[in-house]
Amino acid sequence: MKYDFAVIGAGPAGYIAAKKAASAGKKVLLVEKSKLGGVCLNEGCVPSKTLLQAAKTYHHAKHGSIFGVEAEGLTFDFPKAHEHKNNVMNKMRDGIAGLMKKYKVDVVEGEAKLLPNSQVEINGETHEATDILLCTGSSPAIPPIPGVDLEHVVDSSGILLRETLPNHLVVVGGGVIGCEFACMYASVGVQVTVLEAMPEICPNLDPEVSASLREGLAKKGVTFNLGAKVESISADKVSYADDSGSNELEADLVLVATGRRPNTQNLGLEELGLDIDDRGGVRVDNRGATNIPGLWAAGDVTGQAWLAHAASRMAEVVVNNITGRKDHMRYDSMPAVVYTSPEVAVVGLTKEEAEARGIKVKVGRIPMAINARYIAENPDETGFCKVVLEADSRRLLGVHMVGGACSEMIFGATAMLETELREEEIEEIVFPHPTTSEIIKDVFMAVR
Amino acid sequence: MPKSQIVEPTKERQAGSIPFAEVPLNQYQNDLAKEKETYGEEALLGIYEDMLLIREFESMLQSIKTQGSYEGIEYDHKGPAHLSIGQEASAVGQAFLLDVNDHILGSHRSHGEILAKGMSAIRKLDDDSLLTIMKDFLGGDCFRVVEKDGASDVKQLARDFLLYGALAEIFGRENGFNRGLGGSMHAFFPPFGILPNNAIVGGSADIATGAALFKKVNRKNGLVISNIGDASMGCGPTWEAMNFASMRQFHELWEESMQGGLPIIFNFMNNFYGMGGQTAGETMAFDYLARVGAGVNPQSMHAERVDGYNPLAVADAIRRKRELIEKGEGPILLETITYRYSGHSPSDASSYRIKEEIEAWQSFDPINSYAKELSDAGILNEEGIASRKSDVVAAMTKAFGLASDLEVSPRLPSEKIAGLMFSSRKRESYDPDRKPELLLAHDENPRVQALAKKSRAGVIDGKPVSKNKVFQYRDAIFEAALHRFETDPTMVAYGEENRDWGGAFACYRGLTESLPYHRLFNSPISEAAIVGTACGYALEGGRALVELMYCDFMGRAGDEIFNQLAKWQSMSACILEMPVTLRVSVGSKYGAQHSQDWCALVNHIPGLKVVFPSTPYDAKGMLNTALAGSDPVIFFESQRLYDIGELFEKEVPAEYYEVPFGPPAQRRVGKDITLITVGATMYRALEAADILEQKYGVTCDVFDCRSISPLDYDPLIASVQKTGKVLLSSDACERGSVLHDIGSKISQLAFDDLDAPPVVVGSRNWITPCAEVESDFFPQPFWIIDAIHDRILPLPGHQLTTNPTTGELIKRQRGGV
Repeated sequence: MKYDFAVIGAGPAGYIAAKKAASAGKKVLLVEKSKLGGVCLNEGCVPSKTLLQAAKTYHHAKHGSIFGVEAEGLTFDFPKAHEHKNNVMNKMRDGIAGLMKKYKVDVVEGEAKLLPNSQVEINGETHEATDILLCTGSSPAIPPIPGVDLEHVVDSSGILLRETLPNHLVVVGGGVIGCEFACMYASVGVQVTVLEAMPEICPNLDPEVSASLREGLAKKGVTFNLGAKVESISADKVSYADDSGSNELEADLVLVATGRRPNTQNLGLEELGLDIDDRGGVRVDNRGATNIPGLWAAGDVTGQAWLAHAASRMAEVVVNNITGRKDHMRYDSMPAVVYTSPEVAVVGLTKEEAEARGIKVKVGRIPMAINARYIAENPDETGFCKVVLEADSRRLLGVHMVGGACSEMIFGATAMLETELREEEIEEIVFPHPTTSEIIKDVFMAVR
Repeated sequence: MPKSQIVEPTKERQAGSIPFAEVPLNQYQNDLAKEKETYGEEALLGIYEDMLLIREFESMLQSIKTQGSYEGIEYDHKGPAHLSIGQEASAVGQAFLLDVNDHILGSHRSHGEILAKGMSAIRKLDDDSLLTIMKDFLGGDCFRVVEKDGASDVKQLARDFLLYGALAEIFGRENGFNRGLGGSMHAFFPPFGILPNNAIVGGSADIATGAALFKKVNRKNGLVISNIGDASMGCGPTWEAMNFASMRQFHELWEESMQGGLPIIFNFMNNFYGMGGQTAGETMAFDYLARVGAGVNPQSMHAERVDGYNPLAVADAIRRKRELIEKGEGPILLETITYRYSGHSPSDASSYRIKEEIEAWQSFDPINSYAKELSDAGILNEEGIASRKSDVVAAMTKAFGLASDLEVSPRLPSEKIAGLMFSSRKRESYDPDRKPELLLAHDENPRVQALAKKSRAGVIDGKPVSKNKVFQYRDAIFEAALHRFETDPTMVAYGEENRDWGGAFACYRGLTESLPYHRLFNSPISEAAIVGTACGYALEGGRALVELMYCDFMGRAGDEIFNQLAKWQSMSACILEMPVTLRVSVGSKYGAQHSQDWCALVNHIPGLKVVFPSTPYDAKGMLNTALAGSDPVIFFESQRLYDIGELFEKEVPAEYYEVPFGPPAQRRVGKDITLITVGATMYRALEAADILEQKYGVTCDVFDCRSISPLDYDPLIASVQKTGKVLLSSDACERGSVLHDIGSKISQLAFDDLDAPPVVVGSRNWITPCAEVESDFFPQPFWIIDAIHDRILPLPGHQLTTNPTTGELIKRQRGGV
């Protein structure tokens, strides 16, 4: 078959691209080797958020006494929570399938192999497309630790299938994924220890945010061992080394969450001469164009951002470019969220990043506890909001929050960054009262 | 190989052995009484005075460099000072008998040689001549300074002039002999027979050979001395020069009145060290440097070692060698042994030699030894020594005071250097009084007669004229060369296979019939010597048209092109002209070492004009321009084009005309995109333009950048302002090609008018593959169209067959390919 646009991978980049291109009148082929929705919907964002909500609900019920809510005989039915998770996933997958049908996208299940001259082979059949989008996502990167292949050692996909609670969960890697699962299991009373090799968890975040998140999770009962390098895993123990020397932890479930790697294998990419970086990511320009004419890439396969919404945006940029609208990625206004309790939500540059670029900055920071709605709803939580401004122009460069459900208001900060607002313009925006979002307006009082 | 010389197998295969002429060592016998009788007391005292002068000059510089002052005057001299303390007798003994018409060329350590030759000339010239020279030189700028409060005695005034001019030059002052643009290592003064000194070791060997060639070819008096160091024997170009100067054709093929070797002495000032490397014993194969002469020609180049610590021994050698040269027995190899007490430069701590060695040479100090000899002979006494010493200190202090004073001796405003990069003079002939030597009248030349029957138009009635009937590119080269041969008696042409064969690409076929050997000859396969001798020939006052058969061979002449040809006009403040046209041919089909377009290399070097005509009309017109100018021109030709006819102009005129350097030629007028090409790629760009118009309705302005430097950007900018789009293409490898230079300047000059960045389509950054797959390497019409489609202007329905994406560009550059 001859298509205008072939999309390899039906994750948050793929199905968005397929829908958008099809709605622009392109004849589109969408290829998926597994399930519609990709890792995000099937093994990542969506299922983990469902389970996190289950854990949060349990936690609130258990700790509602400050609101006068006392619960007795409280139980956590993990299989039931999984059932809800599965229902959500099925519903979302059906939604995508319906969408593809509506926009007349040809969806083919199978493994794709790219061939020269803009051709794709799927299930032995060769298709041709003027443009091809490669969005095959990523897989957990498993470090070569002895014992990592034992039955009780799981990655972020495997842990979502576990329907029984362990006694002691050891999480190897204190990144976003590790923290989210640590939070979930700790919220339902499991003993959790996080082993992080770096001196701080989530090292890509603002250092104060990382520290605050760590303290917040510690209050939930998570133990953090920083600077801890895991050496081996046995049937019931995890051995690691830190400043104090070699240590051991008992563990009946081990989550390895040490990052992800782009899926670029078995796609015929090397034969095609595709430019791939040292970490396995497909190199693209800010439009998503690779070095091969007509071949584009978006999402985790590029090794950039590692976020579902970034993947979707990258896909949109590609489609805009192939349908004649100039567009490019702007990573400086790409929000990121950690769905723990408390949540973390950030967008833009940290103070350190801005200064490394030679920008003079001013910083403002206020505790979430000054916000009425926040202390009403989150009596035990700390958290703060921090803004980074360019010193001379007072243009907003970054917003960094930890506390409550701040993920739901980060889009507002994103919009401010996208539109390059300055302090004086933000001051003119009306925030409804009382909302937690007012913190973004109030934080400017503290800028110095 | 000339047909008159037969290679006889029976002779060549005969058994035997080669005898070598003996190489004498230090054979001079001291006989002061005899020398006194020959030269007189005053002359012998003059030798002493000149040695003292040099010693004081160098000691002054040593004092400035190491202590920051001389005789109480403070000065910070930032530039170099390669001093020759200890070497005075070699310089003065050599200059003693030299005539003003005898020319010396030196090295980085030639202050002593300049002063010695200058003083020799001052002693030999009469007062009127001296005054005229001083007043005329640089409009009298240098003379005015010394004339004020100067001595009434003209010779004394001239000595002060020499000291001041040289010192002001070393200090980089406008009144210096070369406006301060030459400096310590390059100073010279032609009116006293001092030609350029050279900061490249051995650099003067082939340049001096060219100067000697000029003297011979133009029947001029005098000899040429190449003063180079012992370490320069390790440089290939030195050997090339010695061989070039010894070519057998001078004796066996050149016409009778021209027979004999070149009038040159390769004088190696052997101070036993090449910077810190000891030559004999460490870095070189020879024990005695003079031995090398035996390897060059049957006369062993009349080589000998002379004691350079005895000025009279050196003078004696020069006298004897001059006699040989006058008999046509040149070239000569002289090894003048000497020793420097000072380091290579003031930063040299002499870590490579022991104190005792220096002291041993000091015990034979040439000045003290000579003074003692004169004293013993009753010519000089203590009082005479003291007064002469105080005289040179006074003269030196005065010259130093004037040269170091910024008000008296200001610096040349740097912006003026721009006006001195090219001499830009029109020179129909470098000797208008002389009739060019020719063997045939113009109309009797067989090629002229053959060309009369060819079609000077490449297209008649819309149809191309067949190759065998059309006036070709190679014919255009021939006509321009012949015209200048018939106009300028100094013009010579040489290179590999230039005579008989007519040049490897038949551009010179027919010239052999018109020209005597001394105007057109085959050179050895010595690219450095070909270019280096051309420089020397030009610096002496003649025009040279030389050829490197393939552009790729430029590497063999790297120093001569980059440092000599390019620099001497500006380093002389354009006192010297460099009318050298260097033809280089860009090949194809012959693989990696015979197919490269290296315009970028020479375009990068300030001081060269670079042109690459791609049509017969331009080839003739631009070669005419090059051969009527005074500047060095690198004249690129393409082997793809030698047989093409003229397709753009109505015809190639038979008459003389010039195509000016600078403006690009517009080959096609369009409105949508500007294509800029260099060289033969123009024809492929036109094919691309045809396809673009016929298939996609896109029309192109096509410019042929026939002149790369200088280049007039105005027409290119006007075109880009119209089209907003530009693609540049040539057969040079993409990375670092001149197209990037041009494209980048267009970006700066027309940024607001551009709809897309300028795109360069060059050859791949590979070696050139074999002829059968060259189209994978050199830009093709569809490469140009693909690049336009992907990078500049999407062409509806166009299918890419190459990969012109920016991602691929990044990937290739990351890989270095």
